Order: sequence, then C-alpha cells, then structure tokens
Amino acid sequence: MRGVNLSVSIRGVSWRFQSVKEVLAKANPPKSGDDLAGVSARDPVERVAARAVLAGLTLGELRRSPVIPYEEDELTRVVEDNLDESAFSAIRELTVGQFREWLLSERSTGPLIRAISPGLTPEMVAGVCKLMSNLDLMVAGAKCQVVVRANNTLGLPGRMSSRLQPNHPTDDVLGILYTTREGLSYGCGDAVLGVNPATDTPESTAEILRALHDLRLRNQIPTQHCVLSHVTVQMKALDLACPMDLMFQSFAGSEKGNRAFGISVALMDEAYDKMRRLTTNQGPNFMYFETGQGNALSSEAHHGADQVTMEARCYGFARRYKPFLVNTVVGFIGPEYLENGPQITRAGLEDHFMGKLMGLPMGCDACFTYHASMSQDELESLKVLLCAAGCSYLMSLPVGDDIMLNYQSTSFHDIPSVRRLLSRRPTPEFDAWLNHVGIMKGDNPGERFGDPSVIR
Amino acid sequence: MNELHTSRTRELVAVLRRELGGAAPLPPPPPVPEIPLPPARIWPTESHRSSYAERTAGHTTALLGVGHCGTRYHTDLVLQFQAELAVAHGAVATELEADWAEKNGLLPLHTRVSSHREFLLRPDLGRRLNDASVERLRAEARKGVDVQPILADGLSAVACMGAGMELLGHFTRACEARGLSVGTPMCAHHARVWLEDEIGEIVGAKVAAILLGERPGLGTGDGLSAYLVYHPKVGNTDGNRNMMSNIHARGIHPNEAANKLAVLARAMIQQQTSGVSLDLRPLLAELGDAVSGKPQAPQARVRLVEVPR
Repeated sequence: MRGVNLSVSIRGVSWRFQSVKEVLAKANPPKSGDDLAGVSARDPVERVAARAVLAGLTLGELRRSPVIPYEEDELTRVVEDNLDESAFSAIRELTVGQFREWLLSERSTGPLIRAISPGLTPEMVAGVCKLMSNLDLMVAGAKCQVVVRANNTLGLPGRMSSRLQPNHPTDDVLGILYTTREGLSYGCGDAVLGVNPATDTPESTAEILRALHDLRLRNQIPTQHCVLSHVTVQMKALDLACPMDLMFQSFAGSEKGNRAFGISVALMDEAYDKMRRLTTNQGPNFMYFETGQGNALSSEAHHGADQVTMEARCYGFARRYKPFLVNTVVGFIGPEYLENGPQITRAGLEDHFMGKLMGLPMGCDACFTYHASMSQDELESLKVLLCAAGCSYLMSLPVGDDIMLNYQSTSFHDIPSVRRLLSRRPTPEFDAWLNHVGIMKGDNPGERFGDPSVIR
Repeated sequence: MNELHTSRTRELVAVLRRELGGAAPLPPPPPVPEIPLPPARIWPTESHRSSYAERTAGHTTALLGVGHCGTRYHTDLVLQFQAELAVAHGAVATELEADWAEKNGLLPLHTRVSSHREFLLRPDLGRRLNDASVERLRAEARKGVDVQPILADGLSAVACMGAGMELLGHFTRACEARGLSVGTPMCAHHARVWLEDEIGEIVGAKVAAILLGERPGLGTGDGLSAYLVYHPKVGNTDGNRNMMSNIHARGIHPNEAANKLAVLARAMIQQQTSGVSLDLRPLLAELGDAVSGKPQAPQARVRLVEVPR
C-alpha cells in the first residue's frame, strides 16, 4: 500500500515486511495455530520488529488494510459499510502504539472507550492487542463495561455471571434437569441455562427448551435459556412455538469460514429478525454467539491471516446483532491451535479484551481438551485472571467435566469461589432470587447452598 | 514550601504509625482451638453417597450431589477427579511401542510425523505416510481388496494396544464371513483419521477402515473409534466417512462393533458410496443405534480411588 511504512531496524539490522497482514501475523505472541498456518514470526526478534512496525501504523491505515479484501468477503463489507464515521474520525490519526497508550491512560474511562468503539475495525482491535502484555489486556479490558439486558441485566460493575452448561450425551431431559438444579444451587446460571444438544433436530431442541423454560417458570428464576443447535434448527424449533430466550450460533472470522458453519450474513439477518418477533425474552438483547481462535484455519478459511485477527473479525460480525452473550471457547479446539497453558491463558485474555473493546458482552469458556498441555491449576488461575479482567461470565459444569463434549471447563464450585475471592456477585435480579431462596446470603453461601432440593 | 511539604508527610505517617500500634509487638497467635473430627466422607461408593447422587445416577454420569467444603470440593472428590484426569493424560502421553506392530504380525507403517509433540501439533503430517512406508506398502501389501483395515494409535495408543487386536481380528472375520476380501493387516504409528485415504488409495481397496484410539475423556483412555470410507483417495473429507465411536469393553463391545462395521462396509460396496450419501435405512435392523447418527450413552463412571480403611 502506498505511503505505509513496513520497515524498521533493530540493532542496525533492518526488517522489511510485505503487507499489513504479514505485520499483524508476525506481531502475534507464539501460537501453535499460527505456526500450523505458516504465518508466525520465525524468531522473537522478528516478532518485535513486526510489533515496532505495527506500533507506527495509524488506525486509518489499518482500516484501509483489512486482511481479506472488501470485494472478497462479506464480513469485511459488514464492518466497512457500518462503521461509525464520527467515532472513527476521532481516532483515525492515532498510531497503534498511541492507541495502546490512550486505552491505558487514566483519562480514557470506560464510557469514553465505549464511545469510540463503533469506529473500530477488527484489524485495529487485533493490532493493539498484539502490543499489549497480559496485564495490559486485563487493565484495559476491565475498563470496558458492556451492560446488556434480557430477563436479567448482565455486565454491571462488581458482577460476574455464569452459563450453566448441563450437557448430556443422549439429551436425557431428566439428566439435563438434574444437572441444572445442582448448578443453580451453587449460584450458577445467571447468564444462561444453555445446553449443547447431542441431537441437532428441531424437535429435540424444542423439547429441551420447553423443559428448561418450565423449570425456570416453576421456580421464578430470572435468567434465560438456550439450546445451542444450529441456527437453522433453532429457527425451525421456533416454528414449533417453543419458548426460546436466546438464539445461538458459532461464528468464524471470514465468509468462507462461516460457509463451513452453514451460515451467512443474510441467514443471520433472517434469524435475528425471526427471533425478534418470536422470542420469550423480555429484553432487547437475545442473541448468543460463540467463537474461538483457530476456527477459521480448521476450515482453511483464514486467508493467510493470524488467528487473533480472524477472531477479532468474528466480533466485528457479532456486534451487528447486539448480542446478550458472546464467548470464546478458548481451549476447546485443541493443541494444534493453542498448545499449552500459557497460550490458552493468553488467548483467553486477548479475546476478552478484543470483544469488550468492540462493545460485546464478552464471556469465556476457560477450558482445555485432554490432549493439550494445560494443568488443572493453570486452568483455575485463568478463571481468576478473567474475573479480575472483568469477564462478563464463565461457564459452569459439574466438576468442570463435560460428559458429552469430553473437555474440562469451569465447575459449579469454581463460580462462587472466584466470585467471593474478587468480591463479585451475579446479576442483580438473579442475586435477589438466590438470596430469597437461601442459596446465598449476601456475599456468602446461604443455608441452602449446594442443596439441589431447593429447586423444584 | 518543599520542606513544609516533607515535614507534613512525615507527620502524617507518624500519626498513622501510632494508630497501627507503633513499635509495640504484634499480638500473639490465637490459642490452638479444639478441632472436632469431621465425619469421614466417602464418595461415591455404591453404599455411601448422597441421596441426590443416588437419584440422578440413573440419568446422567455427571458428578452430581457431590456436596462442598466451603465453596470447594471434598478431598475424596479431588482425588477421584485427579485420578480420572491422570488416566486421560496418561492415554494421550503413551506412545505406541516401537515393535508392537511386528510383534503382533502387522505391517508397520509410519506417518510423516517425527515426534509425539509434532503429532499433536501437526494433524496434516499425521494424515500422510512417510516415503519408506509408502514403498513398503507398495511392495508388501495385498492389492485390489474389498476392505483394507488399518489399526492405528490415533490419540490413544493405550486403546490401540488394548482392544486393538481384538477389534481388528473380529472385523477381519466379520468381513470374510460376508464374502469380502480383506487386505494385509497393518498398523500405523502417529496416525490421524484421514490417513486411511492414502493407504486405501495405494492398495486399491474399495473400502478403507481405520480403527484408532479416540481422544480421551475424563477417566476414559481406552476407547476406539472406526472410520470407514468408500473409494479412499487423498482429498476425501469427513462428509465422505461413516464412523462409530465408544468401542471398548464398557461401551460397544469390539465383537459387536466388528459385525456392525462389516455390515457397513458391505453396504458401501453395494451402494458404491459412503458418508452422508450412504443410505442407512435398509441397515438399521442390523446396525441398531451405533452408526445411525443417534448419540451414544456414555460409559458408566467407575470409582478409581479406593483406600483400604
């Protein structure tokens, strides 16, 4: 691109890069997925060189250099065509290095950051992410407050919520409800009662939704429910007139990646419109999206870009639908994308920061598969880091073990532990319910804590 | 001005220090309390678990009714969990023994992967044979067969070396009993599912069937999966395959699995296709739920830690 400087010298050795896309990729901290894609820096010095070049690019230059061209990709078009020009003009002259400092500056408060957020493209957000340390990501991420509303209000200061994930390998509804009741009794489930179904049919989706809805009404629980089948299956389930508080879909960061997921912008627009008319949710936010670094590469849809930038592009798409929940399933995809504890930890903090910076209610499924090199202790530490960084919600499962998807996530016991450690409470509505039924007593476990018989 | 400022700061700190007790010794530690012995907690033996755990056990293998210590787990549960995690990690870390294939009379093959770590990080290399194995396959394997079974380590060498030979034997006999010719028995090291495409293509098999260790879950490291593909060739995708998982003594027994897989192989040859375009309806009576796309019930959870008391 004309006029953009892509070279730098380090100790007298000069480094020159061919494109902004290459600079973005090589500026990334080490990730096995970037190695697999063949886009990572070949050594730490080249990585610093790329970061130095990146620090000197302006946000305006990044807007002009999306990693997939406008003509080739509908996600690039969604971002470009809907960018808030007045917000963009406030930050267009900042270099990425200056933008990092602006985000960390005392004068840049949460509301101020929120105001420029609609002027940011995914490439800008991914770019500044690469110049930040883990603690930078936490400090800046914690500033960005994103409040959304469904049947309760998520993301307020001093709050951390949880998705209750009562998955079952054969969709045994009674088994799902037993797990749900146990989780509620530990104060979990204020973000959503959300089931990944084993069978992706409208009928079974509707059956699980009805059962969860009945449980919610029977106990007057101020939360939402969702079955995470494919969006087309959920649309058919809506035709069966079943209650649905949140509609779910997984996103990738390119048109091609989304095609592999069986979705497009047009389909999601249609789903959103249908949900707006038919949802049982009382609030203005009713969509739920999941992402995760590496999911574009796994369908060869990364267009030579690194996985952090591709992840940010998911968020650029997600914000179109004003979701109630977005989370990155950070360690789920396997060691070929995030090899070990440090990489999974870093990715969790990156994704949370990038999502929040783009104005999304960002949660994280802090997790690992059993062939990744991460210990249980490292995973527990990540949950504390995420909560400290202001993460909107974590997952919650019995002993963290997903008996259907076979991976290790957050447990029912972890949520109250982390909340108490960092003085967080669930959403105000849910908090009031927990106190009313005796599961919690203020910040502390109540008399009925851990007693599923309190839920009918 | 500056001096005034300094002396004011000094004064502030002095006042604060007096409030905190000055140079007086810190209070002694509190007296040792009497700690009542808690009732021994034993979980989750059949005879001693919570009524909620009892009630839910018939509907889910999730660990429910486990109680809590403050907001954390009982020690018993911690140990059970760590044992389950160790089983899973152990299965992933175990390597196929170097001479295991030869000792079992199998043609040993190796992918382009050169280390265990590389195997985990480079799925692309685990989908192709190295040059020596290509040559050996060309020279030694029977060609033009109906079915080419391939035993492989996949993500659990423990499973491969466990019930692998049993499954391979049953499957071979089940195919032959249906009049299908079966290729040279072989075993691939550091193999991913798609390796069956290249092997099947080289030997010119109508159907390739890779039998390999599946990704371990908590407490389970010995499950095998089978992936079958008609007209194997490099470039096939998952949509071209049919699979069966959860093959082990506590899931689908190798003998039962072998018969169903042979039914599937014969149907592929008859219909000249596999994967999403294979019509499973005529086979449902013979296959049951195993490959009909219905989810499988998990294996029962077993208690791994028993301390004699």
